[in-house]
Amino acid sequence: MIERTVTVVPEDGLHARPASKVVEAANAYESTVTVGPADGDSVNAASMLAVTGLGVGPGDDVVVTADGPDEADALDELESILTTPEG
Amino acid sequence: MTQTISGVSATPLSGLGIVRWYRPGEQPDPETVTADTPDVETQRFKNAQETAREELETERDRTKARVGDEEAAVFDAHLQFLTDPQLTDPIQTAITDGDAAELAVESAFGDAIAQFEGMEGLMAERADDLRDIRDRLLRILSGGERTDLTALPEGTVLFAERLTPSDTAQLDPEVVAGFATVTGGRTSHVSIFARSLGIPAIVGAGEELLAVDEGAEVAIDADEGAVVANPDTAVRERVTAGREVTIRKERVKTADDVDIEVAANIGTAAELDGAVAQGADGIGLFRTEFLFLDRDSPPDEDEQFETYLEALECFPEGRVVVRTLDIGGDKPIPYLDLPEEENPFLGNRGIRRSLGADAELFETQLRALLRAGGQSSGTLSVMFPLVATVEELTAALERVEAVAADLESAGIEYAIPELGVMIETPAAVLSADAFAEHVDFFSIGTNDLAQYVMAADRENEAVASLHDPQQPAVLRAIKRSVEAAHTNDAWIGMCGEMAGDPDLTELLVGLGLDELSMSAVTVPAVKAEITTIESTDAAAMGDRALTATTKSAVTELQKQ
Repeated sequence: MIERTVTVVPEDGLHARPASKVVEAANAYESTVTVGPADGDSVNAASMLAVTGLGVGPGDDVVVTADGPDEADALDELESILTTPEG
Repeated sequence: MTQTISGVSATPLSGLGIVRWYRPGEQPDPETVTADTPDVETQRFKNAQETAREELETERDRTKARVGDEEAAVFDAHLQFLTDPQLTDPIQTAITDGDAAELAVESAFGDAIAQFEGMEGLMAERADDLRDIRDRLLRILSGGERTDLTALPEGTVLFAERLTPSDTAQLDPEVVAGFATVTGGRTSHVSIFARSLGIPAIVGAGEELLAVDEGAEVAIDADEGAVVANPDTAVRERVTAGREVTIRKERVKTADDVDIEVAANIGTAAELDGAVAQGADGIGLFRTEFLFLDRDSPPDEDEQFETYLEALECFPEGRVVVRTLDIGGDKPIPYLDLPEEENPFLGNRGIRRSLGADAELFETQLRALLRAGGQSSGTLSVMFPLVATVEELTAALERVEAVAADLESAGIEYAIPELGVMIETPAAVLSADAFAEHVDFFSIGTNDLAQYVMAADRENEAVASLHDPQQPAVLRAIKRSVEAAHTNDAWIGMCGEMAGDPDLTELLVGLGLDELSMSAVTVPAVKAEITTIESTDAAAMGDRALTATTKSAVTELQKQ
């Protein structure tokens, strides 16, 4: 399993379109992907309910983990989504 | 025996038909369902999930076609939640532990709903979505037949506790004779949908409605604002007589040749066909906030451009009045930072946000509008909501100039539209003379104007008699605005519910309004009324109304 800490850039934080993209990406990889606040519990990144339920806003630090055969690619894509302004 | 149940007429249409009750969401208690083996229960859940997916896709496509893309987006969200692991994982675990699929669904959704209910504003809406999906799954699991509202027998009068907008969107006005609901009010969404579709409807009829049996003959009596079960001959004749309305596609004048423009209010492009079919001269109020609701991100410039152009192309020789985005704390929009406000109707909304937090959205909207105006033969008019000061108005006009300059330097085709201001606040009425120097037109929003002048919440039934545009104070505010407009060579229209009431047309013509804009379905009746009016008589009536000191004295004038 690998993990990375990322500062969330999109204006919407983990809501609306950026949240949708995170969920879509997490579902596209075989690896299990989680996301969560740096100082709290992580949730399944493949769940829209869980991801939007985190209440993460722009500028917040989140820890992303991936575990599985394509974990490196999964983590790269998640980082790219979370650090692109338009989400 | 004839039984009359009073409610609120959502449309000016009457109808006669047979009662059919719509009772969604009545299922056996999940606690009482006996579980089969986990394998069987798992398969039952998977089948229900699949059926729900098919239903949702059908409903999404139908809503898209009949009502609009924005309204359809809610079904996409439901589809996403249907397979969300945060719901399906605990459901699977509970089934493996021996629960029936019903109980597993009930408890997994219950936990998620509780989590979202504890959150603020936008997230609390999610709880409603989850309840809808849960009820759908439970109904499918119980083998309950869905009442297909698109396939009701001809002559049905649908009765329900409440109807959601997507229920209402399924009703076919050619087939359904009307509907009646226990809850709801004239300004609620179900009523707005009924008016766009042109279906006779009584809302807010109360618990008494529940006593009317399935299969009874019933009249929807718009004149009396009542549901009449087992109507006598007099009522039957009255509700069926009014159905023949002549549609006038041409512009109308009073009997003594004064032009009055009659336009339609719309919220989505899907309502354009109805406006054309009912003979509207143009669009007098395009409420653009509906383009922004029920979606994950704002419509971009091109999408808005296409929508505005579509509206303009429906009226190549007419006028389309677009109101810029009017949102505030009362309308949850997930991608906007709309803080909860103690008093959203007096808060940061309308032009206040467009000049502040939503400046970018405002600029995008103006670009789309100016581009659309540059490509059409009809007249585009743009007005700003909730303006209270001259500074707000001039700042908005400066934004229009700035956008025009950008388009000019980019070599993009555009035209500066007619520019106007909504008269909704007492401040706008009192400063109307100052506003009129800057704009081409005014449009009076009587629902908000009555609310703000009378300090009476339009949603609060306890103060409904105060919230009435026939209150002398409101009529005087209207007259003052008309005079300010005409002194400065601006035209003035009205786009509130008052404009669509044929009983008030003579009074409004008498007060000097140049344009009346209303729900499309009331256009034929108002046009017919205008052709019978002598403008001199109307002016005399207007003068008498302005000297009246009580609402009852004003309503007495209508009867003379």
